[in-house]
Amino acid sequence: MSAVIETDDLTKRYGEARGIENVTMTVEAGEVFGFLGPNGAGKTTTIRTLLDLLHPTSGSARLFGLDSRRDSAAIRGRLGNLPGDFSYDPRLTGRELLSFVAEVRGLRDLGGAPQLAERFHADLDRPLRELSRGNRQKVGLIQAFFHEPELLILDEPTGGLDPLMQEQFLELVQEQRGRGTTVFLSSHELDEIQRVCDRVGIIREGRLVAVEKVADLTGRTYRHVSIEFGAPVDPTEFERLAGVGELVAEGSRISFKVEGDLDPVVKTAARHSVRDIEVAQPTLEEVFLTYYGANGSR
Amino acid sequence: MSVSTSRSFRAVLRRGLRDHRRVPLSWGLPLGAMCALIVAIYPSIEDSLDELTRNYPKGLKEAFGIEQLDSVEAYLDAEMFSLIVPLTMAFFAVRSISREISVAEERGYLDTILTAPLSRRVLVAGSFAVTALASALVLAAIFALTLAASFAVGADISLGKLVAGVVSVWPLTVFTAGLATLVAGLLHHSAPVTAITTGTIVGMYVIDLAGKLADEVEPLRLVSVFKYYGSGLTEGIDPAAFIGLTVGGAALAFAGSLLFERRDVLA
Repeated sequence: MSAVIETDDLTKRYGEARGIENVTMTVEAGEVFGFLGPNGAGKTTTIRTLLDLLHPTSGSARLFGLDSRRDSAAIRGRLGNLPGDFSYDPRLTGRELLSFVAEVRGLRDLGGAPQLAERFHADLDRPLRELSRGNRQKVGLIQAFFHEPELLILDEPTGGLDPLMQEQFLELVQEQRGRGTTVFLSSHELDEIQRVCDRVGIIREGRLVAVEKVADLTGRTYRHVSIEFGAPVDPTEFERLAGVGELVAEGSRISFKVEGDLDPVVKTAARHSVRDIEVAQPTLEEVFLTYYGANGSR
Repeated sequence: MSVSTSRSFRAVLRRGLRDHRRVPLSWGLPLGAMCALIVAIYPSIEDSLDELTRNYPKGLKEAFGIEQLDSVEAYLDAEMFSLIVPLTMAFFAVRSISREISVAEERGYLDTILTAPLSRRVLVAGSFAVTALASALVLAAIFALTLAASFAVGADISLGKLVAGVVSVWPLTVFTAGLATLVAGLLHHSAPVTAITTGTIVGMYVIDLAGKLADEVEPLRLVSVFKYYGSGLTEGIDPAAFIGLTVGGAALAFAGSLLFERRDVLA
């Protein structure tokens, strides 16, 4: 595999304010790479620097082996991008936007746009100002995908989409992976990244603190489990199970953290009368604090 | 110019002209209607103008070039083409450039536009060309309405002088568009771009006016675009001034595109 995105100590500062610091990473061809971090961590700054909307303070970025500054137009000819806060002239319709993008790209028609519009139930003939945030986001997704680029850079792509459309989006990313498209997907949703990405880069306070295979991250990710039983049960039954920790028993409710396989927990609980069971993913911030510490180091 | 550059330029031009398709109505119609009104009332007040202008203060007459309102062209020039039309058209140019670049930047549209294979220089060149063409359309509407009014009331305006008067506004508009592009190349937000460019043009107008009134200020007129704008309706077009302002505007726009390329796009 060859690298589609390579950054070397990429740094962007806004005067004294932090942007990103010494971000070094490689995204291979055909890979779906998740770029995960809380809001304000530097995800958008990294993407905008890759796209030459921001000029790096130091360091460099190469896309398709081309310099992100010097060869910017050639690079942008090969990628599709969905900005973090997609917006365009609200007087225009989605179709007018797509026609403009198609003309700049030298396309004779709107390519896969009609099929994508049908798939996302997007209305391309209404002015953008008349669309809800979610429906505008659909137009943004279509303009990123419709010309079948070699690289997709998507910044918080599911923002504003309803769950069904989020599902459609994730399926579309899987299909793109099948076609060999490289996808750089920025998100603060751990679940989204886990479902479609091969590897994930974790950025925190402007620094890339880790690059992990998603399978590794998922294997180590814990869940919060809370079970309400029909009557109080002996908590040691659960304490003995592998991966269970931080157990609290209050009356007939037992809450704990479990890492790894949930099957033993479910089987143990099934020996009793269960009124309610809640399983929750940790927040991203919790994952960071658990695996990368308060200062971002493991 | 490479194939992709020329394709991108055409796309920006086409999009911009579509965005500006209503300007002959929204800008040309009001200005043209005012010019038409001036021409239409001229025959009825022609005889009393001599007495009226005789009572004007000397300075006012010098400043606005209304020594002799003895023709419909001179009257139209004094009433519309010495102040209202050139300043309004200058503001049109500022607004057009600001909308294409600065408003697009502060509202985040550039993140969509500039991730297509379109260079910033092409975007600026296209926006400048759109403004130049759109202002020509507005001026054409002003010309048509004024001429129609002249025919309707038999004001007998000189076609050649009217063409010269209207055409001479165009390089002033182009120069202002260039100045606005230069400022937009430096600054991220539309409000300062509009304020600085409009303020500079109004300042130049005041300098030109003051220079006509006071000999001590007269040399300063050299830095005012209005000295070169002159009075096309009564004196015809000065080719050197026409070319100078147009080329100057293009040079400012080019400098603006270089500045725009060298800075970050607002997040």
